[in-house]
Amino acid sequence: MDEKALIAKLIEGDAAAFEYVVGRYHSLMLSVARAIIGEAFADEVVQDAWVSAIKALPRFEGRASLKTWLLQITSNGAKTRLRRESRQLSLDDGWQAEPDYKFNQRGHRIDDVLPWNIDTPEALLENEQLRQVIERSYQNLPPHQRAVLTMADMEGLEMTEICNILDLSASNARVLLHRARTALHHSIEQYQES
Amino acid sequence: MFECKDVAEEASNYLDGDLPLAKRLGLLLHLVYCSCCRRYMQQIRQTISTVAILRPQEQHQTDTQALAEKLRTISKTES
Repeated sequence: MDEKALIAKLIEGDAAAFEYVVGRYHSLMLSVARAIIGEAFADEVVQDAWVSAIKALPRFEGRASLKTWLLQITSNGAKTRLRRESRQLSLDDGWQAEPDYKFNQRGHRIDDVLPWNIDTPEALLENEQLRQVIERSYQNLPPHQRAVLTMADMEGLEMTEICNILDLSASNARVLLHRARTALHHSIEQYQES
Repeated sequence: MFECKDVAEEASNYLDGDLPLAKRLGLLLHLVYCSCCRRYMQQIRQTISTVAILRPQEQHQTDTQALAEKLRTISKTES
């Protein structure tokens, strides 16, 4: 179903269309809210964002995709709430892609990067234990990293949209994305070596 | 001069095409003679593809069916 048809169904009050959009976008909206406002208020912010979005739906002009529009509403709500709560979340600084001990003074790797026994995405995912390792590693990422990774690598949003939604500079967003990917790589690497 | 440590820091920027030309060339040159970094770069690529297929989701306790029904009720009262 294309997006126009989906929106028309929502406006008509079609139950299946509501179940579909909530099922498809709720986690994503929560990811954005958690990154901006933190765990405590995220759920409430997303519930409010859903209500605002549904009320505004008849005026949705389709200039952005429904997904980006929902994320923008979530982001605005979370930022307003953040100002009200006078909270400031930090972007976990002091990070390196790989720890210093892996390199000598000249920046060369001391040990080899070992080849993976399981080395295609399909094969990686056929291994149930490994799936769980990746899931766990994803859940353990700090909220900002999780949100950027989700939007960039799973939802295919442009970096400019991600920066706008999370109110981040491009360089910060790129660093967070790399941190997230590196953390997941590290968990796969550890599994393969064990 | 690009070293392994620089490759580890810049891998995503390289893969996403966000690396300025001079750094891109430096990194490529390093990859020519460093099999470790070639492997590392390949593994980061596979990590990205794997996550895109697996699509892990935020954990939450929300009853999405109940939420959908609540929103549908709101939309009916609005129209």
